[in-house]
Amino acid sequence: MTRAGLGAVVRKELRQIGRDRRLLPMLIFAPLVQLMVFGHAVSFDIDNVDVAVCDLDDSAASRTLARRLVADGTFQPVGPLPDCTRPEQALLDGRADVAVLFPAGLERDLAAGRPVEVQVLVDGTNPTIGRFASVAAQAFLDARAAELQRERLAGLRSAQGFERPVPTLTVQSRLFYNPRMQSAIFMVPGVAAMLLLLITTVGTAMGIARERELGTLEQVMVTPLRPAELILGKVAPFVLVGLLDVVVALVVSSWMFDVPIRGSLLVVFAGTLLYLLSTVGLGLFISTVSSSQQQAFMVGFFVMMPAILLSGFMTPVENMPDWLQPIAWVNPVRYYVEVLRGALLKAAGFRDLGLQFGALAAFGTTILAASIVRFRKRLA
Amino acid sequence: MSAPGRLRRFAIRTGAVAAKEATHAVRDPRTLYLALGMPVVLLVIFGFGISFDVEDVPIAVVDQDRTPDSRALERSLTTGHEFVVAARPDDPAEVDRLFRERTVSAALVVPRGFAREWAAGRRAPVQLLVDGSDGVGAQSVLGNASAALRAEGRRRLAAETGGAAAPLAAEVRLLFNPALRSAVFFVPGLIAYILYIVGVLLTALTIAREQERGNLEQLFATPVGRLEVMLGKLLPYLALGLLQALLVLAFGMAVFEMPLRGSLGVLGLGTLLFLAGALAQGLFISSVAGSQQVATQAGALSSLLPGVLLSGFVFPVENMPLLLRALASVFPARYYVDLLRGVMLRGNGFDALWGDFLGLGVFCLAAVALATLGFRRRLA
Amino acid sequence: MTDAIAVEGLGRRFGAFHAVRDVTFTVARGEIFGYLGANGAGKSTTIRILCGLLAPTAGRATVAGLDVAADPEGVKRRIGYMSQRFSLYPDLTVAENLDFFGGAYGFSGRALRRRIDAIVEETGLRALRDSATQSLPAGLQQRVALANALLHDPELLFLDEPTAGVDPASRREFLALVRRRVRRGATVFLTTHYMDEAEYCGRVGMMVDGRLAALGTPAELKQRLVPGDAWSVRSARRAELQAALAATDGVRAVHPHGAGFRVRCDPARLDGATLAARCREIDPAAELEPGTATLDDVFHAVVAGGGVA
Repeated sequence: MTRAGLGAVVRKELRQIGRDRRLLPMLIFAPLVQLMVFGHAVSFDIDNVDVAVCDLDDSAASRTLARRLVADGTFQPVGPLPDCTRPEQALLDGRADVAVLFPAGLERDLAAGRPVEVQVLVDGTNPTIGRFASVAAQAFLDARAAELQRERLAGLRSAQGFERPVPTLTVQSRLFYNPRMQSAIFMVPGVAAMLLLLITTVGTAMGIARERELGTLEQVMVTPLRPAELILGKVAPFVLVGLLDVVVALVVSSWMFDVPIRGSLLVVFAGTLLYLLSTVGLGLFISTVSSSQQQAFMVGFFVMMPAILLSGFMTPVENMPDWLQPIAWVNPVRYYVEVLRGALLKAAGFRDLGLQFGALAAFGTTILAASIVRFRKRLA
Repeated sequence: MSAPGRLRRFAIRTGAVAAKEATHAVRDPRTLYLALGMPVVLLVIFGFGISFDVEDVPIAVVDQDRTPDSRALERSLTTGHEFVVAARPDDPAEVDRLFRERTVSAALVVPRGFAREWAAGRRAPVQLLVDGSDGVGAQSVLGNASAALRAEGRRRLAAETGGAAAPLAAEVRLLFNPALRSAVFFVPGLIAYILYIVGVLLTALTIAREQERGNLEQLFATPVGRLEVMLGKLLPYLALGLLQALLVLAFGMAVFEMPLRGSLGVLGLGTLLFLAGALAQGLFISSVAGSQQVATQAGALSSLLPGVLLSGFVFPVENMPLLLRALASVFPARYYVDLLRGVMLRGNGFDALWGDFLGLGVFCLAAVALATLGFRRRLA
Repeated sequence: MTDAIAVEGLGRRFGAFHAVRDVTFTVARGEIFGYLGANGAGKSTTIRILCGLLAPTAGRATVAGLDVAADPEGVKRRIGYMSQRFSLYPDLTVAENLDFFGGAYGFSGRALRRRIDAIVEETGLRALRDSATQSLPAGLQQRVALANALLHDPELLFLDEPTAGVDPASRREFLALVRRRVRRGATVFLTTHYMDEAEYCGRVGMMVDGRLAALGTPAELKQRLVPGDAWSVRSARRAELQAALAATDGVRAVHPHGAGFRVRCDPARLDGATLAARCREIDPAAELEPGTATLDDVFHAVVAGGGVA
C-alpha cells in the first residue's frame, strides 16, 4: 500500500466534503440540532399522573384521604369525576389516567374496623404509565392501611399487656446512576449512537454509490490504487467526522442534559472507533449491493431502521423473542449504546465492557472484510 | 360549457391519469412489495421487538441476614416470572460491578438483623437497587419489584393481625390493557408509523421520476389540469394504501391480539384521511424535489422523524416542550396514533375523537393544496 | 521486442451472454489501433479486460508484456485510460483532479507538481487549472480527462469513445494531442463510432456481436471488403430509389448514410453513367456524388456479410 495513494484519496475526499455547501453543515450542525431536539423529545418521564376522584362518602376521613393522595405531587388532581356511576368515562375521554372512588360509608366503616375497599381504575394503554400509576396508588393505600393497622394493633396489644409494637417492612429503592430517573440521561447516549449510524453509514454508502454513478469509480480502478487504499481513504474522513460528532454530542449532552461523564473518555473513544468501523463497514457493504445512490439510500434506510429500533435504545433488548435475538446479537448499535451508557453513566472500564468491545471489533472487521471482497468481486 | 360537462371531463381525465398510475404500480414488483409486503414484515418484527415487557430479569440477592424471613422475602420476588437470581454476592458493594458488567439489572439487599428488627416490631428495612441506566427497563423492573415486595409486606402484616383483612385496601383495575402488554400500546403506533413512511415514499418518487424522464412535459402538453394530475396520482395509491392498511390491521389483530372495541367506520374514515394526507405529502415532496434522489431522502426523513418521535408512538407528546408539541401538531401521525388507540383500545367514537379528525382533515387538505401548487412552481 | 498488446482467443461471458468471444489480434508499439463496432458489440468489454478492470473468462491477453489476468496491477501502472463517459470529479478543479489521480499513481510532492505543470502545459489547460471541471464545456472536459490519462506517461493509452458528443474543432485538437504522444512512442488503443476518426488509425478491428469480424489497415480493409466504386445519393424519393437500385445488376450494396444513402457497385458490370441514368429514371432530381469506399462502407459490408478477418 502506498502512502501517496491513501493520502491522495483522503485529500480528495476532504476537498469534496469541504466544497459541498450542504454536506458539512449536515455532518456537524444537523447532529447538534437533532441531539437537542431528540434529547427533549424522547422522554419517558412520568411527571404527573392525572387523577380524578369520586368521593361518595364526602366525610372528613375521605376528604383527608383525597388530600393526602395528591399531597406528594405524584398524582395531579384534575377535578372531581363528573359522573360517579360511570367512572370509566374520565379515562375514556382521556381526561384522567386514574380514577379513584371512595365508597359511601368509608368513615363509618373505618371507625367500626370494617375493611374498606377503594376502587382504583387505571388506564393501562401505556404500560409504563399504567404500572407506575397502579404501584403508586397501591403504595399510597398500603401506607394508610399500615398506619391504621398499627394504631389499632397498638391499642389492642396494650390492652392485652403486650409491649411489642407493630413491625413494618420498608422498601428503600434506589436507582443507580440515574437517581431521579431523567430520561435524557439514558436516552441521549442512544440518540448519539443513532446519529452516528445515520451520518456515517449513509454517507459512506452514498459516497461510493455516487462514484459508481459518475463513472469515477472505474477511472480510479484503472489506476494502481488498491481497493483497500480507496476504501480506507474514503472512510477516513467519515471516521473523523464521526469522532468530531461524538465530541459535540458529549459537550451538548453534559451541558444541556446533565449527562454525567463518570467513566474514562478513553473507553468512550475506543468504543466509538470500533463502532465507526462497523458503521462505515455497513455503509460500504450497502454500497456494494446497490447500483445507484437512490438504491443505497433505500437499502440503508431499511437496514438502519431495525438496527435503531431494536438496539435497546428505547426498549430493553433482552426480552425480544428468541427468533429476533439474532438481530440483537449482530446489532452494533446495541453494543455501542451499552458501551456509551456503561462508560458515561456507570464508569465501566474495558474489563466490564469486554463483550461489547469484542462484538464491535468482530462485527466491524467482518463487515469491512466482506465489503472489500464484494467490492473486488463486483469489479471482476 | 355546462357544469355537468365540465365535471364529466374532469372525471374522465382524472380517471385516465389514475389508470396509468395504477398500471405503473401494479407492474412494478418493487412498488407492490413496498406497499404490501414490507409493512407486514416491519409490523411483525417491530411488534415483537419493541416491548417494555420484562421477564426473567436477572437480579442479585445480597442476603446478609440468612434467616427464614429473609429467604421468604427473596421468594416473594422469584415466585413470578419476573425475576431470576443470577448472583449472590456477600457484599453490597459488589452490586456496582455486577451492574457495570450487565450481569444483573437489580439487586435485593436484606441487611443483617432484618428478622430481628421485624420480630422486635421495628421498621425492618430492605434495599432494592435498580440499574437506572437502561431507562424504560429500569422503570418496569422497579415497578414490578416494589409491587411484589409491597404485597409481601401486606401479607406479613395480615399474618401479624391474625389474618384479618386490611382496614383499607386498593382494588386496582387496569382498563383497556389489563395485562399491561406492550404490544397493545405499541401496535397502533407502529401501524401509523409504517403506513406513514410507506405512504410518503410511495408517492414521493412518482412525480420526480416523471420529471427526470421528461414524461411530465408531455403530460402537460395535454389539457389535463394540475388538480387532475394530483388526484389521478393520489387515487390509485390511496386504494393500494387502504389495502395495505387493511392487511396491517388484520395482522395486528391476528398476531398481536389487538382488540377493536370501536366502530370500523370511524377507523376506516380516519385511516382514509391519514393515508390521503401522507400520500399528498409525498406528492408535494416529489413536486418540489426535482430529482428522485432528493425526493427519496426528503420523503424518508420527513416521515421518519415525525412518525417515530413526534407521534406519541413511543414517547408521550404531552411531555414534550412547547416547541416540539407545536411541531408534532403539524404532522398527521400524532392524530392517527391517538385515533387508533382511541378506536381500538377504548372504543371511542367521533365525540371523543373529533380533535383527531380535525387535525387529519386539515393536514390532508393542506397537503393536497400544497402539492398542487408546488407542481405549478416547478413548471413555471 | 514484444507487441504492445497481444490478445489470443479472448472471451468474456456474463452468465449465458457472450459479450466477447474468441478474439485474437496484436497491436505493435507506437501504433494507433482503432476498435470499431456498434453499441453492445463488445468494444467496451474488450477495453475493460485489457485495462485490468474485468477478468477474461477465456483466452489470454498481454498488455505491455504483462498478462492482464495474472498481473492486472502491473498493467494498470503502465496504461492510461479514458472512459466513455466523462469520469473525473465534477466538483473538483482541474488541478485537484490531477492531484488526486497523480497520487493514485503513486506520485507525491514535487514530482507530482512537476508532472501536473507539464501536463497542463502540454494540453493547453494552464489557464483553467483552478476551474471546477463541471463548469467546463464538453470539449475541454475531454481534454482534462486526456491530461489525466497522460499524467503518468503511460506506454499505452486506452481511449473508449473519447470524442463522443464533442464538436468537430475540439475533436481535431484532441486527436492532434493524441498523435503527438504517439510520435513520442506511446501506443494508442481507441474505440470509436466515427469512421473518419478510424481513418487516422494504423489498423482497425471491427467487432460484430462479440466477434472480431475484420482486421487490417483501413486501406487493406477497403481493398479487400469493398472494392469498386461508391456513390453518395440524395433523393426526395429515397425509399423507392434505394429499392430499385438494390435490384439493379452490378450493385453490390445499398445502405443508408446521413440524409441519403450509399451505393457500391462493381465497376466491371456497372459504370457511373449507367448508374446515374438508372437513378434519374426514378427520380430526375436525384443527386449523385462519386467517391471511393470509406470505412463506413467497410463496416456495413462487415455487418451485412458477417465479415472475414
